[in-house]
Amino acid sequence: MTCIHDGNLRLYLDGELAGAELAEVTEHLASCANCLACLEKVRAARAETEAVLATLAPAADDVAIDPAMVYAQFTSQFAADREPKPWINRLLAPRLRPVCGLAMLALIIAILVSVNPVRVWAQRVLAMLRVQKIQVVTIDPTTLMSSSEHDSRPYKLFNQFVADNVVVTMDPGKPQVVSNPTTAAQLAGYPIRTISSLGAPHRIEVNGETAFQMTINRDRVTTLLDEIGRSDINVPESSNGALIAVHIPKTVVSMYGDCPDRQRYVNSNSESQALAERKMERMANIKDTNCIYLIQAPSPTVSVPPDLNVSDIAEAALELAGMTPAEARSFCQTVDWASTLVVPIPRNSSSYETVTLDGVEGTLITETLSQGNRYSLLWIKNGVIHSLAGHGNSSDALSLAASLR
Amino acid sequence: MTGRERSSEHWDEAEFRGVFLQHYSRIVAILIRLLGDRSRAEEMANDAFWRLYRQPALQIDGNIGGWLYRTATNLGIDALRASGRRRQYEEAAGGSREDGKNSSPLEDLLRAEKCHRVRAVLSSIKPVQAQLLILRSSGLSYKELADALNVKMSSIGTMLNRAEEEFRNRYLALHPNEEEL
Repeated sequence: MTCIHDGNLRLYLDGELAGAELAEVTEHLASCANCLACLEKVRAARAETEAVLATLAPAADDVAIDPAMVYAQFTSQFAADREPKPWINRLLAPRLRPVCGLAMLALIIAILVSVNPVRVWAQRVLAMLRVQKIQVVTIDPTTLMSSSEHDSRPYKLFNQFVADNVVVTMDPGKPQVVSNPTTAAQLAGYPIRTISSLGAPHRIEVNGETAFQMTINRDRVTTLLDEIGRSDINVPESSNGALIAVHIPKTVVSMYGDCPDRQRYVNSNSESQALAERKMERMANIKDTNCIYLIQAPSPTVSVPPDLNVSDIAEAALELAGMTPAEARSFCQTVDWASTLVVPIPRNSSSYETVTLDGVEGTLITETLSQGNRYSLLWIKNGVIHSLAGHGNSSDALSLAASLR
Repeated sequence: MTGRERSSEHWDEAEFRGVFLQHYSRIVAILIRLLGDRSRAEEMANDAFWRLYRQPALQIDGNIGGWLYRTATNLGIDALRASGRRRQYEEAAGGSREDGKNSSPLEDLLRAEKCHRVRAVLSSIKPVQAQLLILRSSGLSYKELADALNVKMSSIGTMLNRAEEEFRNRYLALHPNEEEL
């Protein structure tokens, strides 16, 4: 037998030979001093190189990474990337987040669990309201997709559905940056408050009015539910053909601390540049702990046909978002849909409590994130919805709110 | 990959999540070896996954891990070559490891110096050889190496021998006084 090629000796050394090949090499080595010497040379060379390269091995704590946490950052980028265009882009565009600040609260949470359809529906549910009070409902988003293992199709269907059925009737344009609360109040048309204990806001943005509408086509909704494996959800027949129109007045966002520059990537020329910048912002966001947002927004108004049973639709939506039919039914029976802003939060990562502040009742939602807590305090005062959001200890929210002027 | 919806142009989110969770830590660890800096390594790993996400899954069906390891090491080696032999960077890189753990400042310094040399050699040999060496030393199996480099498993042995030989020769040429290599 001819001598063994050094590549095969290497395979032998690395334990990559098996069966007849292995037997052949083993047998040959037993009787060939030449090849045995070669084998030792290959072994020594391998050991030397491995030792040198091992210098580069990272320290153990350098590789302790929680990929799930990193993944959460990615999903928020996916959201920006995969939502249907143009409607949802506009609604979800960072510059518009304050417009839907309240709906977005649910959205922010939903991003963390990366269940996009929850967001879409959350907005839908939230939109069907004239808000006078706020109520939180806990949902279990993990059940949403339980019936379908490969959920790209449901996503697509949802997105397509939204793109096909929702029409933007009033485009808010770019947010206006103003220099002080007085100017903001003039533009917005209602008094603007500030957090006096934090000094002057570092940035104030006024967002234009937004309006969109949608006509419910029951067949299409039913088809959609069938296709995503949720034909168990019943869409009320009376909803067919109903036109739902949403109008969101001007909203004002005040930012304190080092908040990411929202304007920057809106002005970017290319989509990829905007995405790249958004990505960087998201990365920075995680460490961004002293940024506090105060959002002030008069109630959105929602027009629905008088005979539309909003409760039945909301029930279907909440079932879709992960409530059991019984839960959804009993919850919907207790809610006055004409006046309540319902904020769905995932029950495993968030908690909420009712608090008294500003002379009214408010809701304090705490999200537990791997890098610390994030709180959102929601209340309604003089017809204006207030949302105060930041990182850290949620009791801070109350003391900050107490200093509102 | 069984059961993937073939018509899908985009990633199935659950599947992408699976891929991410499966490979992310390892990709970062490989890039730390190449770059010596964790935050840069993470940035680059994110870049690789971002590229993967923008790729229709279909195009790399069946060999996602290979695609990721190839892309990530290409990015890392490109960066290594681009940063050339800038000392500041290497020193910063060397300083990031093993801080304060049972090692004297002198040991740290020597180690940083050695890391610098190893990386300089890696950036001077053929990229595919550097890729092979860094991936093997990160613990990839022959199968994974073959997937990452698009070669047959049976060729890996020879390729490893050649790459190591090249590496040792360059290392000794650059540092002839080094006793124990």
